[in-house]
Amino acid sequence: MISTILLLGTILSTVPGRIEDVAGSVRRNVLLPIGQTLDRLLAPVDRALQPVADGYNRRLGTYFGEMTGLQFALIFGALIALLTAGLWAPLVSGSLLRTLALASIWAIFAMSWDIQSGYTGYISFGHSVLSAAAGYTTALLLVHVNPELSLWITAPISVLAALVLGLLIALPSLRLEGPYFSLITFVAVLLFYRLTTAFTSLGGIPGFSSPDVFTWDPTMRYYYMLVPMLLIALALTFMARSNLGMILVAIRENESAVSAAGINPTKFKIWSFALSSIPMGIGGVLLVGFTGNVDPHTFVIVDNSIEMIAMAVIGGMSSILGPLGGAFLFEFLNHEVLHGFSTPVRYLFLWGLVLLVLVFARDGLFRMIWHRLGAVRGENE
Amino acid sequence: MANEDNNNRDPGKDGNGAVGRRTFLGAAGAGAVATTFAGCLGGEDEALTIGHLAPMDNPLGVGSDRTAQMAVDEINENGGFDGEEAELLTRDTRTEPSEAQDVTEELIQQENVDLLVGTFNSETTQSILDLTAEFDVPFMITGSADPGLITDFVGDDYEEFKNVFRIGPINSDFQSESIADYCEYLSELHGWDEVAFLRDNAAWTEPFGEHVPDLLAERDIDIVLEDALSIEIDDLAPVLSDVNESGADYILRFFAHINAGEMLGIWHEAEYEFGIEGIHVAGMLPVYHAATEGAASYETTSQSGAAGVSPITDRTQPFVQDYAERYEGEDEPPTQAPMYMGFNTYDGISIFGEVVDAIGTTNTRDNLDEFVDEMLEIDFTGVAGQISFYGEDSDYPHDVEEERGDDGTITNFPMTQWTPEGDIECVYPEQHQTAEHQMPHWMQ
Amino acid sequence: MLGDIGTLVLQGAMISAIYALIAIGFTMIFGVGGILNLAHGALIMAGAYIFGILVRETTVSWIALHPAIAFPVTVVAVAVLSWGLYQVLVRWVEDNVVITFLATVVVAVASTELVIYLFGDTPMGMTLISGALNLEPFGINARPRYVQFAGFVVSWIAIGLLWFYITKTDDGRSILAASMSERGAQLTGVDLHSVRAKTWLIAGALAGIAGIFLGSTGSATPLMWLNPLALAFIIVVIGGIGSIKGSVVAAYFIGFLEQFTVTFVGQGFRGILSLVVLAIFLLYLPQGLYGREFVHD
Repeated sequence: MISTILLLGTILSTVPGRIEDVAGSVRRNVLLPIGQTLDRLLAPVDRALQPVADGYNRRLGTYFGEMTGLQFALIFGALIALLTAGLWAPLVSGSLLRTLALASIWAIFAMSWDIQSGYTGYISFGHSVLSAAAGYTTALLLVHVNPELSLWITAPISVLAALVLGLLIALPSLRLEGPYFSLITFVAVLLFYRLTTAFTSLGGIPGFSSPDVFTWDPTMRYYYMLVPMLLIALALTFMARSNLGMILVAIRENESAVSAAGINPTKFKIWSFALSSIPMGIGGVLLVGFTGNVDPHTFVIVDNSIEMIAMAVIGGMSSILGPLGGAFLFEFLNHEVLHGFSTPVRYLFLWGLVLLVLVFARDGLFRMIWHRLGAVRGENE
Repeated sequence: MANEDNNNRDPGKDGNGAVGRRTFLGAAGAGAVATTFAGCLGGEDEALTIGHLAPMDNPLGVGSDRTAQMAVDEINENGGFDGEEAELLTRDTRTEPSEAQDVTEELIQQENVDLLVGTFNSETTQSILDLTAEFDVPFMITGSADPGLITDFVGDDYEEFKNVFRIGPINSDFQSESIADYCEYLSELHGWDEVAFLRDNAAWTEPFGEHVPDLLAERDIDIVLEDALSIEIDDLAPVLSDVNESGADYILRFFAHINAGEMLGIWHEAEYEFGIEGIHVAGMLPVYHAATEGAASYETTSQSGAAGVSPITDRTQPFVQDYAERYEGEDEPPTQAPMYMGFNTYDGISIFGEVVDAIGTTNTRDNLDEFVDEMLEIDFTGVAGQISFYGEDSDYPHDVEEERGDDGTITNFPMTQWTPEGDIECVYPEQHQTAEHQMPHWMQ
Repeated sequence: MLGDIGTLVLQGAMISAIYALIAIGFTMIFGVGGILNLAHGALIMAGAYIFGILVRETTVSWIALHPAIAFPVTVVAVAVLSWGLYQVLVRWVEDNVVITFLATVVVAVASTELVIYLFGDTPMGMTLISGALNLEPFGINARPRYVQFAGFVVSWIAIGLLWFYITKTDDGRSILAASMSERGAQLTGVDLHSVRAKTWLIAGALAGIAGIFLGSTGSATPLMWLNPLALAFIIVVIGGIGSIKGSVVAAYFIGFLEQFTVTFVGQGFRGILSLVVLAIFLLYLPQGLYGREFVHD
């Protein structure tokens, strides 16, 4: 029996080889010419924009990375589009502002995951626990201390709770090798889920409905989510471009070399986890203000952690802005483009997309576009 | 892609709900890319729309969607809602609070619905109460029984949440009482007076945990084993061994999250000498007997509407026949009778029709006070029972009132039993009984 | 007391046998390719659903096989599915541990949606063998089902066959060699790629068997992959990565530990003690009982 299957297997495994040939000729005959044409068209634009970009590069490039003209145009254009979305989004679709607000929160999660997992290569499957820690802290404060507590009090305590829980998970587990670390974070989510569903004092399955939403006005709500997201993106980009970011990448590439250079990798891994916990906490607080409900399904379940990872993967891991773009693409596809399909179909499509990106474009869609734009004039970055 | 709401699993119906307010322009390829344009923005008064919320992966939600469509069609054909034709928009909440909020906001803000009806599990219901209250949209709960959905909201802040009503089922405080009466019936019938009381360790069973022991003690029925089981439990064999050891005559269990299929399988194969009674949400599925390959035989569960097997009111059986005629040919269950939520949803929309006729406008969002006053006046003969609502000053404002028989026992929470042939019989209360409760054949 | 111990031994042995089936495939794949296959639980779920479709009359009306025929068909189907997962997806990304990780977890999550899409979220029950044995006359408060005995026997047959294959045949020894040292195996002329494919095939078959027993003692549900995966992980860490013997020992250790908790502490504490043991092992004995230190390069 086994030998028949193996024989069949050998035959079948030549098929991917054929597919590769076909893919190769498609690449040579179709994609390459299109790319070259695009390059030719875009190169003058890039050149024209270069002086503006240079102005930026001189002042801020050392902190946030240098850009070419086109890259600068992309970032600047996207920023303007996001900031003015309150004006144009309702014209496109009635639900778009909600989608964008949700995407902003998930962008925070995806970027936070990225600075820890994407950069160090220590993949966390448990990041939803961190936002959940913040969300549950807010809810518990309102329920047990004083239902009138202001956001200025609950928010900092909640973020602190996320940080504390982050350190509690990181300290023992980051000494372990990568796969062990991933699995222990995976188990941490399952355990946290069990706790929240089993104990009524933690809200049980319905959770808490006591927190209030910030506002039901779609435009205001969008900006409440967008502004913190942009600030976090700025801060994380700055850190990722600093020496810290370089060390984190070095840990991913060759941890023993980092040790050999006299740097303690565990210390930096814990740093990255702490750095990741704080924005996760902020995102958790925003999610409370978005839904007004703190329950295991919205905050804890392992699917949430995997969704953040999916967004980071689609956008491009270890680039901060890639996961940001990935989050917006994911939510836009989920809630706008695929809106008419039933939920399982939507998710099957999205998970399929993530798999395709993992196999064919490991660096992610946005990182790919970014490098393409950077190289239209044939230079390497 | 053309079918914009989530009714696409239901192609047989008249297509009334298929035209969304929003139009898709330009769909490319397999429908992966589409651009949405809002057909209308702002709040100009337009056609009457009714939003229906339910988990559409679940037969319970499918049944509810179908009965909602039946109610809307019937009223549209008979003069309409205060003269207007209504359009039904169903959205899939799954059982996820965030998904429910998402679609509810869309229904309220984009589709400008004048009524929301539905929601199954209490966490999804809870997650949208604030939202419906904020926009003064009348909201009729037809699937959740948690008393907290009433007491913690409309009971706590009447002005804010007065848009919320519960059509059914009766809340779990009343359900506890009804179940205790049922236990008394079992005690009289079989002489069963020792109970193993098991429940999901979850919020929805807490009213039962709180009331049932006292209520049973009043009736001289002993609880010989009591446990709230973790909803993650995946091995029920030791639990059954414990029950067996305790000498209980039957298990009184309240399961919605726990998958009790394993328990039923062991019960049948090991022929344990006790009954399995109580509430089992999965057991209400019309396909459940088949899904468990017969292991559901002899288990009971209570469900409002009694799965349509008993003439609870004059309207019940004609309604179920009508349902079966319409949906017999569908692939997806339930095809013979809707599940309990469907009964309540049908009644909810019918009541809505009466109320808007009485107040003379379908613009309920701007006339909420009139709507609420009229709702409180209602005494409606529905398909699941006689329906009226508690007023502002009661313990459960806007909750459906329980019905009581001549002896004072609650009658609108019937108990059904699976027979070995895979039929459902209503075994309690006596007013609605279609067959006497049967012990498992190995005990007879 | 004596009766309790009898119950404990009996229930513990039967549940542990299934745990061993769950964990062995997972540990083999980890041992040979260094790949954490997070879709392992999804393969177990596939076993339950495929078997359910084959034996039940109501799901697909024209197929209703006798369980004795459906059993091997399911095992082969899941083995091929597992092998296909390796050929279609994993081999293209296996050079990068992180990407493999992510790809398999996405497959697992997608499998839930696929099951919901195909069958809805109603649990699906199925029968392999019906009936149960009343042990109360012997002072043991349990009525184990025949299907549990069958699980115990099949589990040991599978383990025995696997042991024979791996230690007594050349084919199997190449798997063992590859799990000890990939470079060494390559030097002695082992085709690593085909060894890995074979490992996935065997792991899939074991997952299929586990799925059939999980489905027919309980029922198949769209999220049933999650707990077996967590369990496989706990067992593999305790037993030692890549060690089949370790997995079997650890499966029995965890199975008995859980039964012990249920009998003497309480149903609610069932999973928690295992997690505590896991934490102790991770911190003080990360190589497990029989494992080598996991080296990733």
